[in-house]
Amino acid sequence: MNAVVCNELIKQYGSYKAINELSFTFTENKITGLIGRNGAGKTTLLKIIAGYLLPSSGEVRVFGERPFNNLNVSAHTIFIDNEMSFSNGLTLFELLETAGSFYPNWDRGLAHRLFSYFSFNPNQYHGNLSKGMRSTFNMIIGLSSRCPLTIFDEPTSGMDSPTRNDFYRALLKEYIAHPRTIILSSHLLEEVEDLLEDILLINSGEKYLHMGIEDLKQHAVGVRGEAETVTRWISGIQPIHVQEMGAGMTYAVIENERSKKELEEARILGLEIAPVSAEKLCSYLTKQSRGGIDDVFNRG
Amino acid sequence: MLNPDSMKPIYVQIAEWLETEILNENIECDQKVYSQYQLAEMFNINPATAAKGINLLTEENVLYKKRGLGMFVTAEASGIILKKRKNTKLKSMVADIAKEAVQLKVDEEELFEMIREMHRKEKGEGS
Repeated sequence: MNAVVCNELIKQYGSYKAINELSFTFTENKITGLIGRNGAGKTTLLKIIAGYLLPSSGEVRVFGERPFNNLNVSAHTIFIDNEMSFSNGLTLFELLETAGSFYPNWDRGLAHRLFSYFSFNPNQYHGNLSKGMRSTFNMIIGLSSRCPLTIFDEPTSGMDSPTRNDFYRALLKEYIAHPRTIILSSHLLEEVEDLLEDILLINSGEKYLHMGIEDLKQHAVGVRGEAETVTRWISGIQPIHVQEMGAGMTYAVIENERSKKELEEARILGLEIAPVSAEKLCSYLTKQSRGGIDDVFNRG
Repeated sequence: MLNPDSMKPIYVQIAEWLETEILNENIECDQKVYSQYQLAEMFNINPATAAKGINLLTEENVLYKKRGLGMFVTAEASGIILKKRKNTKLKSMVADIAKEAVQLKVDEEELFEMIREMHRKEKGEGS
């Protein structure tokens, strides 16, 4: 079954299209990473899926229904981000106790075990938590709700590194024990990539690619060597990324469609061939302007 | 145990880890191997990635499926793994050694002697 289907989705603010003709399908019970640069439209897309925003045109279906103003969808969906607001009249303990009444699959035991593992003070208020603690509390709500569609928008912002690792581990264990559809947006692709099954990469509100993470990691190769040799070896194809390394060396990233024999020949020519991590590849693919930050400072 | 910098995809590394477990007789013929979910927990990876590693070994006849029970080691498993490793891993390592030896102007006799010595040492320590 399909958990989320988007068809030619557009979200327009004035003349600006935050989401531009986006079409994709998430099948049930997969963990998908939503990746994109700042301002790519990730949060807008997630809010449309969660039913917080109405699309300008196009279609969105969550478990077969339109999510906007839909009680059925909202009972089965949870959207976790760092702007979640909770009542300031309730303590953290009371919030945990109340949250259960909104979500049919709520696991009270898990919520309280995580709550004490992360050393929360039950009498504190959500508004007084530090940024990292707030993210951690929101994450506990997200995992314990066991919603068939669980959306995490930058869930680890502000968390320290051990907490992030605990969260990833908790997410994986929860997912294995109780499979559900999870969408995870993150800037830290390298940290989360092993947890993911698929990746949706968006850029300027448009779909860039949607594929299995393992396929993405083999999608490209990096070639490093003498500038002339590299240029000759990649001639005739459009590289994904080219970078001067200094001392007459060049690094180029190309699609990985060379045969084993060709790669072997490259090695004999003295070229270094290496895999390109998913994170690096995504940033090369979505580079906003030609050149890099150095060009800002090269005013000649 | 997994090497993120390796050219090898994670699921291939999972398959190789299982192969080593079989070669070391930690999992024997007709014994059940770890499920995709156990592997996912052990290595902190998505269960679909772990399943891909298991599938790889099924295609190579190292594992077979018992409906509803899980994946099991075939009788031919270690033979298949040994043959594969010799033909791919060992050969490419030897190719690297030969290349380096030529670059360093090490002649055949000297190279053989180095290999012999290492081989003896390895066997001696192994027993």
